[in-house]
Amino acid sequence: MRALEFTFMRQALIACAIVAAVAPLVGAFVVQRGQSLIGDGMGHVAFAGVGLAFLVSVNPIVGALALTLIAAVALHRLARGGLPGDLSLALIFYGGIAGGFLFANRAGAGAAGLLGFLFGSPLNLRWTEVGTIAVLALAVCIVVVLLYRPLVAIAFDEEAARVSGVPTDGLVLTLTLVVALVVVGGMSTIGLLQVSSMMIIPVATAAQIARSYRGTLVLGSAVGVCSAIIGLFTAFYADLAPGAAIVLTAIALYAIAALGRNVSSRLSARSG
Amino acid sequence: MLWRRPAMPQRHKPRVSGSTRGGGGRDQIAPATSNAPALTLDRVTFAYQRIPVLRDVSLEIRTHEFVAIVGANGSGKTTLMRVALGLLRPTQGVVRLFDTTIDRFTDWGRIGYVPQRAVAQTSLPVSVEEVVGTGLAGRIGLIRRPSRAQRDRIEHVLDLTGLAAVRKRRIGRLSGGQQQRALIARALVTAPSLLVLDEPTTGVDAEARSVLRESLEHLVQVEGVAVVYVSHDPEGFAELADRVLAVRAGQVFDVTATQTGEPSERGAR
Repeated sequence: MRALEFTFMRQALIACAIVAAVAPLVGAFVVQRGQSLIGDGMGHVAFAGVGLAFLVSVNPIVGALALTLIAAVALHRLARGGLPGDLSLALIFYGGIAGGFLFANRAGAGAAGLLGFLFGSPLNLRWTEVGTIAVLALAVCIVVVLLYRPLVAIAFDEEAARVSGVPTDGLVLTLTLVVALVVVGGMSTIGLLQVSSMMIIPVATAAQIARSYRGTLVLGSAVGVCSAIIGLFTAFYADLAPGAAIVLTAIALYAIAALGRNVSSRLSARSG
Repeated sequence: MLWRRPAMPQRHKPRVSGSTRGGGGRDQIAPATSNAPALTLDRVTFAYQRIPVLRDVSLEIRTHEFVAIVGANGSGKTTLMRVALGLLRPTQGVVRLFDTTIDRFTDWGRIGYVPQRAVAQTSLPVSVEEVVGTGLAGRIGLIRRPSRAQRDRIEHVLDLTGLAAVRKRRIGRLSGGQQQRALIARALVTAPSLLVLDEPTTGVDAEARSVLRESLEHLVQVEGVAVVYVSHDPEGFAELADRVLAVRAGQVFDVTATQTGEPSERGAR
């Protein structure tokens, strides 16, 4: 395959596949908890982190990681302090986008550099960045595997989980921190404005087919990887933006799965 | 028959050991002393944004007791239970679970809770078995896997609630009654000594109500569980109760005699 003869394509493929495999593992929990927009909020905060990194001349991943982790704790505190979830998310959301633009503007960063983070630029990655993405993804996987059962309990019914003795406060905070890791891991590949879609859409696709929660996680991860591979190759051969191509592929796979389920339901109803 | 019927109904049968509860036993839970207090509220007041919802409530629910808590929508029944289970902090007063103040209570496996809702709310596919298994999450701990005894206990409650045949099915595709039974199975999976059900018949048809009634009788009479049944419409259940408590304007009254036709009203204790 000609595309794989290029090092930049091999790097992009590995990085995108890792992000797309891990994002649905976290997305399944946030979707079930009704927090589908939390990834978007974190993406905006990460943008502020990138802007701050430009201003103080550090690696953008470091800036994004620092601010998203702080925002995760702040979001948790605001929500537990009685502020409605959507309001606390909105504060973080708008504060992030405004702060990011302010910092970047102050640092004199060009629009091209910022667009790469907002919409992804996987073809410009270096092996060190691929390695950083892999480390972040590994951390996410370890948390999800080790805390799988209590995370399912708080995703399905936080109050009942609390009464059964699950330390819900700590787990909700951990989940928010893990969302932050996924967003930072995905910012160079799929982009800050698009990465949360990979937490949600593959999970929604898997939900059309799977019968169990565990099945949804595994299938969602597989759908994510397929979206990354198909999207990236499509972008290479059709000269498209890779991040956008991956997200649109994920949406196309969802449409196929939803259509298939609809047809299958109608056929079953007719034969039944 | 959906629930296992008790072979020989025996009211307030004392609990002898965990092994009588089926499955893998009670997993480190000390047996409850017969008729010891399971839940105590001592002069509890709760206000939401300075508006009093519960006013100076005192009540005691003992092990092996079936208590129905009734009242109109908005009277404070759910708030009362949320305060009792530590989900809300009382403005004043003390809550005790099994003689331990709620701040120091750690043995949450002794409590089973079925929150108020019409049906199981899931955006994603979750199998019945997975829902029931989440009830054990607090007992298993953060990173451990369930023991053989705990897996046996899941089997036991699935069997007890008549859900064994649909254990792999998505809970969202079951009837309202089956979904409610799955939530009750989740609450029972730790072999609790106190089971709190908040509006368990909402969205459930008459047949499922009848099955639930039979199952609660079974739990109290055979399994020795203290049951707190909270409902605005306790028809068919109030007569099962040892006591009926009414919540009105944030206060609790014992109306057991009234429910049986005698016009008397006493304090909740």
